Amino acid sequence: MIHIQDFTFRYRESERPVVEGVTLDIPAGVFAGITGAAGSGKSTLTYAMNGIIPHCYPGDFYGTVTVDGVDTCTATLTDLSRAVGSVCQDIDSQIVTSIVEDEVLYGLENFGVPHDRIEARVTEALEAMGIADLRERAIASLSGGQKQKVAIASVLALHPKVLVLDEPTAELDPASSRQVFELLAAYARDNGTTVVVVEQKIALLSEFADVLIIVDGGRIRFAAPPREVLAHSEELLELGVNCPRSTTLMNRLANAGLYTGPVCCDVREASEALLEVVA
Amino acid sequence: MNGFLEYVPGDSLLHRLNPMAKIAFAVLFAIACFCTSNLIFLAAMLVLGIALAASCKMMRPALGLMKAVLAFSVILAVLLLLTNPSGDVLVELPWGYVGTGSVLAALTTILRLEAAAIPLFLAFYVTKLTDLSNAAVKVLHVPYKYAFTFASTVHFIPVFMNDMAAIMEAQTARGVEFDQGGIVKKVRLMVPLCVPLLVSSVRKTNSAAIAAEVRGFDLRTRESGYKAYPLTVADVAVLVLAVALLAAAILLQVL
Repeated sequence: MIHIQDFTFRYRESERPVVEGVTLDIPAGVFAGITGAAGSGKSTLTYAMNGIIPHCYPGDFYGTVTVDGVDTCTATLTDLSRAVGSVCQDIDSQIVTSIVEDEVLYGLENFGVPHDRIEARVTEALEAMGIADLRERAIASLSGGQKQKVAIASVLALHPKVLVLDEPTAELDPASSRQVFELLAAYARDNGTTVVVVEQKIALLSEFADVLIIVDGGRIRFAAPPREVLAHSEELLELGVNCPRSTTLMNRLANAGLYTGPVCCDVREASEALLEVVA
Repeated sequence: MNGFLEYVPGDSLLHRLNPMAKIAFAVLFAIACFCTSNLIFLAAMLVLGIALAASCKMMRPALGLMKAVLAFSVILAVLLLLTNPSGDVLVELPWGYVGTGSVLAALTTILRLEAAAIPLFLAFYVTKLTDLSNAAVKVLHVPYKYAFTFASTVHFIPVFMNDMAAIMEAQTARGVEFDQGGIVKKVRLMVPLCVPLLVSSVRKTNSAAIAAEVRGFDLRTRESGYKAYPLTVADVAVLVLAVALLAAAILLQVL
């Protein structure tokens, strides 16, 4: 679904490329998580996927990025937006209306969805994010987590083939972050949507993502299922990426020869493995 | 009370009226107030405005508005008293006098501004901003870009106000004393904060433009709007009332 070949990008005001020599394939229906240290080029990579680069941020663009078979350089941003739904980091800037219902309607109206299908789309998107009861509410009166869900619902209503989210849980508490991921994963599973999420909370990515992509200095260091990537916990630490503590603990036990099982991605797996070790 | 120009939910007649009918009524009402100097008519218009506020449970905000308008109109009224000598002399001044006509003119100004402001204020608070811009596009054929620009501007005012408050709090935490001294000192302290506010505003505006574009902003046409805004009997009645008020005001002035 997303094919990136030898992609390098330097912002006009930067001296050095922010992303360099990236080659990446994300098949249709995959839930991909991108993480890395601050300034590693994660957001730039997502901008390349949704066409914001090169259409909104000028700079030197090398290589090719195709999404659903469309070259992001030759297609217009509007055309790309028919296939790619984007949720940016700053939710307050993304929201363009004052009422929840209007926010979800906005994209549907613009893309000319037939009026007899709009009501069903709005209801479906709000229900998918569990915010049907907020439909008439003023967005200014919502919490950060609720606004985040409104922003995601407004994009889901467009039925995108690809969903690109830049740190969708940046301002959320752990419980709300987890809920957003659960809702996203369920929606993607039910609709076959390809999801690309930039996220700092690696524990969430390791639980929900099919592919974990680690970006460092504008290059991709790992792109594999989370269990494979998390096996390199010490290398990840050097790259500024903290593995879940349960994973780090079990990896250390494995290095000490006390544990020989697979890499543990969460606390439940680690506790079960520990019980085996102790037994 | 909600934020600046933030929709107040409700189910009153004013809430349910066509957005364009509401705005047209408010504008014609305001014009009528400026077309006459008849004190009784203006007082009746003020009572009508207050009744409208009560009908949509907006009395408290409307009283707040009246207080603010009063402060402004009193300044104008004092200027009129001092610079518009007419009628029987009440107080002699070195450059003229305050007469009965001056007092009437001052009172008229206060009443006129108070009466004219209320319906305009109500029209914005009982109408969703999106409905207002969409109806302007559908009914008045205003180009969507202009309607969206207006709606976005109003939408971002509270966002920027929050940003300014956050910047001021950050500065207060570093020892800047915004709560000490007079208004001049406060303004002087606030001026340098306009730079970070401007930077964050430009950044936010740019992000909003991108967010709108990736949701098909460029494809928008007059027919795109989902909601219809037909004129109902109530809308027509309200418009007729507004025209009648305007005609009455003009007649009272002419006769």
